[in-house]
Amino acid sequence: MVKDLGKQFRRYHAQRPRRFKELFVRGLRWFQPIEHFWALRHISFALEPGRALGIIGANGSGKSTLLRLIGGVGRPDEGRLETRGRIGALLDLGANFHPELTGRENVFVSGVIAGLTRQQVQERLNDIIAFAELEEFIDSPLRTYSTGMQMRLAFAVAVHTEPQILLIDEVLAVGDIAFQQKCFERIRQFKAEGCTIVFVSHETGAVADLCDEVIWLRAGQIVAHDKADSVIDQYVTAMHAETKKRTPAQHPPVQASSGVELRVNENRFGSMEMEIAAVRLLDSARRPVTELESGQPLSIEIEYIAPQPIPNPIFSLTISRDDGFICYDTSTAATGVITPTVQDRGHIMIHIERLDLNGGHYYVDIGIYERDWAYTYDYHWHVYPFTVQSGPHKHGILQLPHRWELNQNHHQLIDTPYLERGLNSEAI
Amino acid sequence: MIYFESLKQQDLTYLRDLLFELTTREIKIRYKRSILGIVWSLLHSLAQIRIFRFLFGTVLALNIPNYTAFLFIGVLVWAWFRTALTQGTVSITNSRELVNRPGFPVAILPIVTVTTSLIDFLLAFPILVIFLIAGGSPFSPALLLFPLIMIIQFVFTLGLAYLLATIQVRFRDMSHLLNVALSLGFYLTPIFYDVSAVPAQYRFLYTFNPLVYLLDAYRAILIYGQFPDPLPLFSISLLAGAMLFGSYTIFIRASYGFSEEL
Repeated sequence: MVKDLGKQFRRYHAQRPRRFKELFVRGLRWFQPIEHFWALRHISFALEPGRALGIIGANGSGKSTLLRLIGGVGRPDEGRLETRGRIGALLDLGANFHPELTGRENVFVSGVIAGLTRQQVQERLNDIIAFAELEEFIDSPLRTYSTGMQMRLAFAVAVHTEPQILLIDEVLAVGDIAFQQKCFERIRQFKAEGCTIVFVSHETGAVADLCDEVIWLRAGQIVAHDKADSVIDQYVTAMHAETKKRTPAQHPPVQASSGVELRVNENRFGSMEMEIAAVRLLDSARRPVTELESGQPLSIEIEYIAPQPIPNPIFSLTISRDDGFICYDTSTAATGVITPTVQDRGHIMIHIERLDLNGGHYYVDIGIYERDWAYTYDYHWHVYPFTVQSGPHKHGILQLPHRWELNQNHHQLIDTPYLERGLNSEAI
Repeated sequence: MIYFESLKQQDLTYLRDLLFELTTREIKIRYKRSILGIVWSLLHSLAQIRIFRFLFGTVLALNIPNYTAFLFIGVLVWAWFRTALTQGTVSITNSRELVNRPGFPVAILPIVTVTTSLIDFLLAFPILVIFLIAGGSPFSPALLLFPLIMIIQFVFTLGLAYLLATIQVRFRDMSHLLNVALSLGFYLTPIFYDVSAVPAQYRFLYTFNPLVYLLDAYRAILIYGQFPDPLPLFSISLLAGAMLFGSYTIFIRASYGFSEEL
């Protein structure tokens, strides 16, 4: 459905006066653009129906511009662009919502804006509400909704438009994990039905998951266009190289809060524009711990220093075994948390409700990244150790709360409570 | 490719629904959580009429028969024109998200603002009818022309709105300029007085104001039960049509650049 032959385009960055004063000062030169620059150039690709294309690249590389051009917003200054089929878009989700209107009223407005007729919205209304899981709240004003609920509703409307071409811009990292999964599932279903997908994202994981092929853009040009895995590998390698390039060669070794000595390029990487000052592992009573029982909660407090303002840094947490095996990995971006611009000292906490790890020695690895994952500010690897105590399980990574239930012929139920420290309460 | 060359390419049912939803949203948002709601737009006009009646019916008596109805028509027609233009001018610059939305027909936005303010006009109409009956205005077949005059005003206003909205995108002072022009226009349009009261040497100025002909037509139909003068009405329809065509074309041409400028 999409056949995009060759497309180049120019975007002029004219500093046209929008005020009287400037108009008088500049006079008729008003109409002359002062500076031309190409936001995208020499972009060519074709995409078959039912394929998913990922577009990755740093901020300002032209990803979103390309996506909007495909959607018919603006017009290329060079080259040609052809699309066939009805275009649906998952971008700026919920931007059309009005807080004073009810959920139902907002569904109608945004459904129609998304390209449905009122009758089509009416027909799909129940499906949309069910998908968003908002049956009880649909007639309350939107201002009473949480952000997550609004996102769910916006997404539900957007996915009920049956597009033939679906444009997605960075919207999947919203709502809770379960809903994200549902959204992804729905998008995969679109794809299976023959919908062509163009997905712009910084999350290489999500791109790899969904896309068949990937275009990597840098400064408006295609760096690579190939199968998803291959381009993402190149991109990640380049990102590491970028980090390495930015890592200061002479950064004195310092003692980490755990007592381990931090050495650049050994257990510490990054540009050091923003540094991890201390990492504290805390138990439920907020006491520092280095040893805890399986199934107990764990909170991790990351203290940072940013001499310069850093916009929306991404914090990541990895729990790894001493042999390097990664047991768990998450980040603010993956959880849908957008941090503000930070400066000076501050701290961020992550609360893990239950740490159901098998007994053993582990490390908490902490990273702070540029907001598009372009490179690393600071990353501490195998610096903060902790130990988990658990029952007699030799193998496996996890220690799951569980119980056995045996059903005999006489419908006699025997519970064999598995007694264990830290799990007693769940056992029976 | 959805280059929304023109509104025609889109399904008409869809455009009707879009217009309906966007217009009702505007009206709902405006009066949500206010107790009197939509009555406010009426109260505003009524208060204005009350003060004018005091000023020009009592203090400086103008001696216009059925002055309340005369005023009411003037105030309502002007309110529609003014609201449609002020909101139409910023209709693109205030809808960044919609302009950037793939497949959204941007050209509908000025239509939405002109329609929204038309709703206020129509809601006040029953009150006007009461004033007309109280003032002894006759029911005549000329009333059939009333919708036609409204259509002419709609087209005229929309033509201006497309032009102003296009300018506003590149030149943000347009909305302020418009406010100045409108506050002058209020006095240079025979809203609370009659053109016949203007001294002859200045009267030619009024021949350039299309609203004069529209107001004359409204008043002829509603108050006096007469058919309006067809010639000026015909020329103003031509003007309105030509202007709509011209400014719509300019609007569509410029609309490709809108997303860059917002």
